[in-house]
Amino acid sequence: MNPRKRKAITREAPPAESDSGEELADGLLDGILSHSEDSSDESQDEDYDSEDSSVIEGLSDEDDELDEDEDEDESGFESDGEEQRIREQLRKLKTSDSSSERRNTSLNLGDGEEKGLEDQDDSLKPNYTVTTDANGNPRYLYKEIDPIYDSDDSAADVTNTIGNIDLSYYDEYPHIGYDINGKKIMRPAKGEALDALLDSIDIPKGWTGLTDPATGKPLKLSDEELDVLKRLTRNEVLEDGYDPYPEMVHYFSGVKEIMPLSAAPEPKRRFVPSKHEAKRVMKIVKAIREGRIQPYKPPEEREEDDEQIHYDVWADEKPRPEKSMHIAAPKLPPPGYEASYHPPPEYLPDKEEEAAWLEQDEEDREREFLPRNHDALRKVPGYENFVKERFERSLDLYLAPRVRRNKLNIDPESLLPKLPSPEDLKPFPTTCAAIFRGQEGLVRSVAFDPLGIYVASGGDDGFVRIWELLTGRQVWNVKLSDEEAVDSVKWRPDKETSILSAAAGEDIYMIVPFTILSPDVEQASRDILDAGWGYAASQPSTTTNGETKEPLGKWSRPGSRLESKGVLVQVTVRSPVKTINWHRKGEYFATVSPRGQSTAVAIHTLSKHLTQLPFRRLKGIAQTAQFHPSKALFFVATRNSIRSYDLAKQELVKILQPGAKWISSIDVHPGGDNLLVGTYDKRLLWHDLDLSTKPYKTLRFHTAAIRAVRYHQGGLPLFADASDDGSMQIFHGKVVGDMMENATIVPLKVLKGHKVKSRLGVMDVDWHPREPWCVSAGADGTCRLWN
Amino acid sequence: MARIKKKGTSGAAKNYITRTRAVKKLQISLPDFRRLCIFKGIYPREPRKKKKVTKGSTAATTFYYTKDIQYLLHEPLLAKFREHKAVSKKIARALGRGEAGDAARLEKNLVPKIKLDHIIKERYPTFVDALRDLDDALSMLFLFANLPSSEHVPAKTISLCQKLCHEFEHYVIVSHSLRKSFLSIKGIYYQATIQGQDILWLVPYRFVQRTGGDIDFRIMGTFIEFYTTLLGFVNYRLYTTIGLVYPPKFNAKMDEQGAELSAFQVEGKSVGTDNASTGNEEAPAVANPEAQAIADKLAALPETEEEETALAPVQPVDEDEANEEIDKFEVTAPGADELPQPQASNAEVASLFAPFTFYLSRETPRAPLEFLLKAFGCKRIGWDGAFGEGAFTTNESDPSITHQIVDRPSLSNGAETSEDADTAPKVQWPRSTMPGRTYVQPQWVWDCINQSKLLRPDLYAPGAELPPHLSPWVKPKKGEYDPNLSLQEQEAEGEAAAFEEEEDEEEERADLKVNGDGNNVDALLDRESSVEAGEGMDVDGSEDDEDDSDESDEGPAADEFDGFDSDAESDISEGEAARLQHQRELEAEATGKTLEPEVETTKSKNAAIRKKAEKKRKQEEEERARQKMMLSNKKRKLLKRIEYGANKRDTEAETLRRKRRKLEKAKSAANAI
Repeated sequence: MNPRKRKAITREAPPAESDSGEELADGLLDGILSHSEDSSDESQDEDYDSEDSSVIEGLSDEDDELDEDEDEDESGFESDGEEQRIREQLRKLKTSDSSSERRNTSLNLGDGEEKGLEDQDDSLKPNYTVTTDANGNPRYLYKEIDPIYDSDDSAADVTNTIGNIDLSYYDEYPHIGYDINGKKIMRPAKGEALDALLDSIDIPKGWTGLTDPATGKPLKLSDEELDVLKRLTRNEVLEDGYDPYPEMVHYFSGVKEIMPLSAAPEPKRRFVPSKHEAKRVMKIVKAIREGRIQPYKPPEEREEDDEQIHYDVWADEKPRPEKSMHIAAPKLPPPGYEASYHPPPEYLPDKEEEAAWLEQDEEDREREFLPRNHDALRKVPGYENFVKERFERSLDLYLAPRVRRNKLNIDPESLLPKLPSPEDLKPFPTTCAAIFRGQEGLVRSVAFDPLGIYVASGGDDGFVRIWELLTGRQVWNVKLSDEEAVDSVKWRPDKETSILSAAAGEDIYMIVPFTILSPDVEQASRDILDAGWGYAASQPSTTTNGETKEPLGKWSRPGSRLESKGVLVQVTVRSPVKTINWHRKGEYFATVSPRGQSTAVAIHTLSKHLTQLPFRRLKGIAQTAQFHPSKALFFVATRNSIRSYDLAKQELVKILQPGAKWISSIDVHPGGDNLLVGTYDKRLLWHDLDLSTKPYKTLRFHTAAIRAVRYHQGGLPLFADASDDGSMQIFHGKVVGDMMENATIVPLKVLKGHKVKSRLGVMDVDWHPREPWCVSAGADGTCRLWN
Repeated sequence: MARIKKKGTSGAAKNYITRTRAVKKLQISLPDFRRLCIFKGIYPREPRKKKKVTKGSTAATTFYYTKDIQYLLHEPLLAKFREHKAVSKKIARALGRGEAGDAARLEKNLVPKIKLDHIIKERYPTFVDALRDLDDALSMLFLFANLPSSEHVPAKTISLCQKLCHEFEHYVIVSHSLRKSFLSIKGIYYQATIQGQDILWLVPYRFVQRTGGDIDFRIMGTFIEFYTTLLGFVNYRLYTTIGLVYPPKFNAKMDEQGAELSAFQVEGKSVGTDNASTGNEEAPAVANPEAQAIADKLAALPETEEEETALAPVQPVDEDEANEEIDKFEVTAPGADELPQPQASNAEVASLFAPFTFYLSRETPRAPLEFLLKAFGCKRIGWDGAFGEGAFTTNESDPSITHQIVDRPSLSNGAETSEDADTAPKVQWPRSTMPGRTYVQPQWVWDCINQSKLLRPDLYAPGAELPPHLSPWVKPKKGEYDPNLSLQEQEAEGEAAAFEEEEDEEEERADLKVNGDGNNVDALLDRESSVEAGEGMDVDGSEDDEDDSDESDEGPAADEFDGFDSDAESDISEGEAARLQHQRELEAEATGKTLEPEVETTKSKNAAIRKKAEKKRKQEEEERARQKMMLSNKKRKLLKRIEYGANKRDTEAETLRRKRRKLEKAKSAANAI
């Protein structure tokens, strides 16, 4: 296990056992030289020598000795290896026996042995310790190996420092050179005297000086055995005369065999010169003579920057055909004032602009540089994005799609229609003339009386109020209901009488506000309302099986409290009524209650106190209904369509498709051919009934839903709408009598004044019967008169 | 029955091809495709109905015309590319085996040389087409001529670019086709008109260009390859049409010594023009006889010129008058249409600087000045020896020099003496000045060129505050801001008043301002109006040159603000009163009381004007909104788009006017104090 031990065997044993003389001798000589002076070296040598072989021990001992008495020993080193070796051993024996220096050597020897023993102890001890590792398994911790590089290193070879000088120069001196410490290296003993002695001693044949462990007798080796050992050391094959590299035998060689492999005679071509080759050679010769084949010259360095040969490419130019699809790349625009190195000062950005520019993303910037002022040309720095901009331009040239785009060269004025000036279309309402205050909550409905003196309004507080138009004073009111709001108020269109109808919840009330009426008007009104009493009772409606049907509308007297105020008739229907619209003659009125499915639309006959349902089933949810101003037509608006029915023939005439999502209100032009539709989806639609079922004009100027639309009924070409954005818009809508011309619609005025409350603005609008005045009902609890 | 047509087999779906498909069809790599597209000028198209082409997919793709790609299939370059690919494979193999010699041989002998001649002819069927497309080519080549060589940009390319650019410049000089030039912060723009085509190119200032970032020099290199071929042919054609030999003689030695433009020697084709070869860039064939006569005359008597230095600049005026000038049709009444007027003729251009001898000081940019001066007829340009070869003279004290271009601040004290000039003849300026020589800053040259007449040099004297340098290409449209006009001429009604109102922190001086504006305008017009060459000199000519610049600096300033001094004080008190008045108004407004009408001040007058204007504007707006109500949706959108542009232009102009008003106000205030 000990590396030193192993080394000693491999290195030192062979010379001990080998009998190759000269090599061994050289080795020994080297050893002598190296060990000559340095005692520490010696001792070390002895250390390992002592371990394994006595022969080597002896050798080392002898070295010492030789050192000391080299003068006397002059002979014997040139003699044959084997003999010499034996002699040396003998010499050792001798010296150990006698000689004055023996003590020293023996001492040395003793020391050496002791050390050797210690070493051996060391070597016997395992060079590891066993511990347990983390898993509890034994773990071998090896000591660090101490590599001892000893004696035979090449460094030992250069103990003599005389360099490359012939030793003959030292012939006269006892030394042959100097060691590294400057001490003389003595000439080794030649040992002539010793040799003489040794030669005299007879050595038995085959003596080895070893004992045979089997017999205990001295071991003798024969010559053959020594030879085998020698071969073994040389790693040779033990067999005698074995040739590892025999000569190669070429089977097919140029050597003429006695027995040839083929018996064919030699072909002629082998010994006749080839005519074909001669021909070819002559061809080449001829070519060379004629100069067709030039001797190879390495091509001379051609000019790298091979000048382009220029000529007129456009010598015969033809213009590109006109229809070519090619679009030339647009040129970059020329620089403007702000690109100047010294621009007018107003083009320089101020601090905010500069900061904004710097903050912007590079791609968002309107211009790629910041204008700068340099008061002299020498102060202008280089533009750092120059290469980048060029690069981007080249990218644009080959990567950007090119599209021919027509430049918009339209005068914006030409697009705008020529509208008649509003001045020419006067009169129309422009300002708020009066505000009727005093109501709580929303005002849901407003109406002018047929004479245009009073305005009636109804709202969430359940009151119906009548205002005097000119003074804005409230002249009459009545509370119809505690819980229900008054959804609609409408005057009966008759100038001789004054009857106001109002809808609150499921009840419709007929009111004669007698306190503000002259007695004969009051009387006429009362007569009309009273005419129907008893009619229903005298002609009870019966069904086919004779049962008395529950009447649709119950006509009754509302009770003394209301009657004392002038509310004379109460009609109760099955579901809450939202709108009331009168027939032009005042005989019929239609009510719409969107929630009553089959009973949504009802037509009431005032003189008979009769309620009828014109539709057994209605498609869609009815929003509002209106009579035609002159014909026996009846319009019913559901959420997204308007149907007109002929009441006389009792058939459907037309379905209008305004394209709206939710119609809020409709109004029929007094001429009867046009229809106005307001929708909750912010649109105001003008339908020409003769033209199409689609709207003739769609107007979208409101930002919120349109609640109400109204035509002026007194002959002025005006109409208005009321919207949840708190504004009303007044339009000029002129309808020409003949069919050749379309209606002209001109926006005139936006009336603003009502406040928006909980997203409700203007709830209703109505026109004065003659004047260009209108009144609006606002969600802010006021009514306003505009003129 | 006819066969049912399959979808996607005709029409838009067939006419367009995506890039990937195009590359596959051509069987080349993407970089090769890119090169091919750059060479052939094929660019992507935007299908009008994209959905039909993409078959409904919405991914962003590039489309080419199928016909374009079809046409590329027959391109000879395509075969070259394939050959190149094969050779590069061989070279790679040789290198892989470590056979460097083989690789070198292959590279030398087998790599196909790409020629673009046929592409030039194909892309530009007529010469005018090529000229039309020269903008980008020149800008790119001038940039590369000024780049340092690097691994991406070989020195060979750069020297080729330099050569071509110099040759082109020589043509421009000889044919006097340069028209305008402009010093921008990006570089110097030049515009030449060749065969009726305006060619505008940009040359960077001579600084090291920043080439970092994501700049792909392979793409630029491909463009350069094409552009060098193009400009080579264009130069050949240009030279031959005016009877010059095309590659002009190139003196490598002079070029080494920094001669740049002068390293080329332009020669006439005919045998009889021997005298032409004596001068460096005398134009033999087209040399303008008049200019030549002037030059000869001046060359003949340089001594006399020395004596009558004061008169020297006057002389060309007479000559110019003798020339047939183009009459200018000026609009006399506002509102008339302006017609495009003929530009300065070649003769005019050729003789602008013809009678002068220029000297460029060391700090001025030599190359652009040399080019410009030569292009505008100057035959004798000297410069500092440090600039390199090719100068008419490198001696600054040469008496024949009439103009020296200087870009250094003048020394404040005028303590120079004539002895200084003697002791230090090497660099005279600013220690001493030569009598009779005009010293100007470089901008003078540019402004003269752009207005094609000689301007007053005293405005451009060294150290003077230069007038703004304006782009010659901006044609102010209606509603746009024009710095050449006074504010009154272009502002909207009531704008000034509104501005005054806003600027309530300061005193109101409407009348003063009007005065100031008027004067400023005068000064501005003075500078820009047709001051005949030397007129400015006439005024001050009798005095010393040193005083000249100072005088001219102070002269107009003093005139301008003479009137203010007396008014200034009363104005301030008036302004104070206006402020108080305004304060009172504000208070009254806060308390809800009505303020009894006071004596009408300018302030209230202003307010009245503004209110009136505002009211009018409001009315107009209302009317417009009313009209817009009746538009159809489509038209309304169109109108919106049109109005967007107009509004942007208006606000831009307004901010500029506002800034100018502010500046003018500050200036007048500073002057008043």
